[in-house]
Amino acid sequence: MLKARRIAALGLAAVCLLNAGTAIGAESTEKKDELKVMQLPIRTDGPKSLDPVEGSTTYDNMACAQFYETLLTNKYASPMEMEPLLLAEMPTTEDGGTTWHFTLKEGVYFHDNACFPGGKGRAITPDDVFYSIKRLADDEYKLENWWLLDGTILGFNEYKDAQNAADEFDYDAPVPGFRKINDREFEIVLTKPVYRFLYILGMFQTSVVPREAVEYYGKDFARNPVGTGPFILDTWVPKQSLTADRNPNYHEVFYPGRDEWSREDKRARLHRAAGKQVPFVDRVEFTMFIEDQPMWLEFNAGNLGYTQVPEDYFQEAFDRSSKELKESFLRKGMRPHANKLLDFTFRGFNMEDELLGGYSTEKRALRRAISYAIDLDEINETFYSGRRIVYDGPIPPGLDGHPEDGRSEAAARGRNIAMAREMLAQAGYPDGKGLPAIRFYTSQNAINNAVSEMVKRQLAEVNIKFEPVFMDFSTLIEAINKKKAPMFGFAWSSDYPDGENNLALFYGPNEAPGSNHYNYKRPEYDALYEKVLTMGPSEERTAIYAQMRDMILDDCAYVGGMARERFYLMNPWLLNCKPTERYYGWFKYLDVDDSKRE
Amino acid sequence: MWTYIVRRTLYNIPVFLAIVFVLMLALRVNDPVSAQLGKNAGEEQIRLLTEEMGLDEPFIVQYGVFLKKLVTLDFSERSWDQGFPVSEMIFKAVPPSMAITIPTLTVTAMIAICVGLVSAFNRGRAIDRSLMFIAVIGMSISVLVYIILGQYFGAFVPSESIEGWPFQVAVDASAGESALFFFQPAQWVAFCMLPVMINVVVALGYDARFYRAVMVEESQRDYIRTAKAKGASTRRVMFVHMLKNAMIPIITRIMISLPFVITGSILIEVFFGIPGMGRTLINAINSKDFPVIQTFTALFAALFIASNILTDVLYALVDPRVRLS
Repeated sequence: MLKARRIAALGLAAVCLLNAGTAIGAESTEKKDELKVMQLPIRTDGPKSLDPVEGSTTYDNMACAQFYETLLTNKYASPMEMEPLLLAEMPTTEDGGTTWHFTLKEGVYFHDNACFPGGKGRAITPDDVFYSIKRLADDEYKLENWWLLDGTILGFNEYKDAQNAADEFDYDAPVPGFRKINDREFEIVLTKPVYRFLYILGMFQTSVVPREAVEYYGKDFARNPVGTGPFILDTWVPKQSLTADRNPNYHEVFYPGRDEWSREDKRARLHRAAGKQVPFVDRVEFTMFIEDQPMWLEFNAGNLGYTQVPEDYFQEAFDRSSKELKESFLRKGMRPHANKLLDFTFRGFNMEDELLGGYSTEKRALRRAISYAIDLDEINETFYSGRRIVYDGPIPPGLDGHPEDGRSEAAARGRNIAMAREMLAQAGYPDGKGLPAIRFYTSQNAINNAVSEMVKRQLAEVNIKFEPVFMDFSTLIEAINKKKAPMFGFAWSSDYPDGENNLALFYGPNEAPGSNHYNYKRPEYDALYEKVLTMGPSEERTAIYAQMRDMILDDCAYVGGMARERFYLMNPWLLNCKPTERYYGWFKYLDVDDSKRE
Repeated sequence: MWTYIVRRTLYNIPVFLAIVFVLMLALRVNDPVSAQLGKNAGEEQIRLLTEEMGLDEPFIVQYGVFLKKLVTLDFSERSWDQGFPVSEMIFKAVPPSMAITIPTLTVTAMIAICVGLVSAFNRGRAIDRSLMFIAVIGMSISVLVYIILGQYFGAFVPSESIEGWPFQVAVDASAGESALFFFQPAQWVAFCMLPVMINVVVALGYDARFYRAVMVEESQRDYIRTAKAKGASTRRVMFVHMLKNAMIPIITRIMISLPFVITGSILIEVFFGIPGMGRTLINAINSKDFPVIQTFTALFAALFIASNILTDVLYALVDPRVRLS
């Protein structure tokens, strides 16, 4: 009996404690209710690190961009264009792009944090910029993003080799390409003019971090971001949620002016906050969703500001043929937005493969026969409800060098059965006779399995035997890197909005295990690539891009490509939202109107 | 008894060593470093990570190092994906899993035993047939269907029309980092009760059929007839005589399920956003997080072995006929 009473008393105490916890929670919830809080989803399991130098995924980018900032950034109103963020103005050059002069913006301070004396964030200096870039060279961080600046800055490769060979990495050792002029001005000297350098200064991996924080937190720096960004980390529960509060000392950044928005954007009232200081919300709460259903239901319940529209739910929200949002969603005040992604999805050939590779007329004809026999439009209609964009060449829609209407005369665009048969005969396999089965390596998933079956059927019509080999993604990468895959399914998402990024996929020195998975090697192509590297946007450069594109298409190094169009939906309470996947520093422009929540 | 426990533990050590051996071997079939680093990985980068993870050492050395860590309970190795020590990930993931699995296990066992008893006692009658028909239907439907329909009709649809509907579709950012979050009554009802109900429905069919079979066997024994002849009430026959004698298979069934209290249920945790062990493990698998997969799987193996030994000990405690020797 006594025992039972004791248990009851313990139980009562536990309930009281829990209730006390709930009461405290309720009080803080009331305070939170007075704040402008924005709830957003992160599709998949979110970031793996909050240290920009260790980041590589979209989700690392999305998280880091709230806390850290880069020298340059994309424009919110027109994301293909760049503008200064931590700089007072765009960098200038007087020698054709070898030496770049930078002036830091005034009044930019790091977040208040215990790593600084007195816990007060200090102003950024050129030393912070140099330090942050030097971290990319430190093998402590596994050189995950070294490829961004490899061979770009004067003396930086030598610095990297020397410091990594030394007992300790010396961040104070000089790099000839870094020149500090004063506390706001500095220069960076490149090995040669490389136009993409400016894009790289807008990539989150080159964000400016304070040395004090890296040294103070050590290995835990990846969980304690200290930057200049619009938000300060509150909590990060990996794979679960991330919450951040407004940075009260955020520097002067204003919502894009009225004239920066297109007519269509103005119709969506995206210009309503023109010229106002950002950020608008006090707190942002990200929830990670591994599965699409809970994200979709949470959005529909009005608990999330926006959502990507998952493939499985597209026809629930949009009319399949017109791609218009359905009436039931419009009635709830939801707004749609579509983004063309800089995607390049393809089926590549290993140009060193005994059967499919090579540059002779016969080998080229065999690859073109395969390409002519494959009907990408049928694949698009059947598996993606026609939402993918089929185009010729490796340069995705929206970029210089993308062919008009997505078509190039050099391409062996299917489906053209007559041409496929003619090419087969030219290759020495009339009507497919004597042609061994084509082994196609691809990653295992439901869509790939089904698509491969369709390709098998399409190729069978010209008597080409197609043998898909399914494997997990890591095995696929390994097979491609070791040049073992004769034909393979893969995709590339552009790192920055310049066709050069995709043309690099066919540059000889980048052969496997580098990004040239096709092992495509043509000296004249390589020479053109080296030339365009130093060129800024111009008609001449676009013409060279087209020439390189057609060279690849003529050799038929791959079958494809396709780009995705991503659809978004926004709840009426989320304001100023124009989702883009070019960069993720745009959350600071968002606002909420709690009166529009149900 | 202690001698028995020590001996069984010693017998199981080679089993555990073999499991860890096969596990480590399987994880190294494909190069885990290339898989982790992805599309832009250079040779130097691959070399650095290989060295950092000790994967350049001979396999037997890696095996020895990992075993030493397991024996000394040193789980300080950091996740490749998250950078957190694995121990921290385990400590954070166990409480949310338990908030789901303990109630699931308890409620399922209680209901399934009662259904089994009632069914067995009314063997062949309409009530028995109806209960078993429902059980078979229940176990024939995929858990995924229960989850998808449960989220939709259990949380989303009613919340649209009924103000203050208690169940949430998934855990949101308000859960934060608190390990006790899911043990607060209001939060438990909001985020855990629906998953528990789904888990119970899924498990009930299997368990009820099993317990019915056990009870049917017991109900035909002589002591039941004797008890009835002596005038014992139906309730007494069922819950005192029959239940007590059926404890061995009941314990076996419950003990088999016990490790799942810690390991959680993967699909439920993934769909409802519960940051438990199941979700942590599946995340680790998806992101090829080698140290986490290795440690979690070794721990799960240890838990299963421990629960097996514990089951044998419990046999002796509940049934005097069983001698541990």
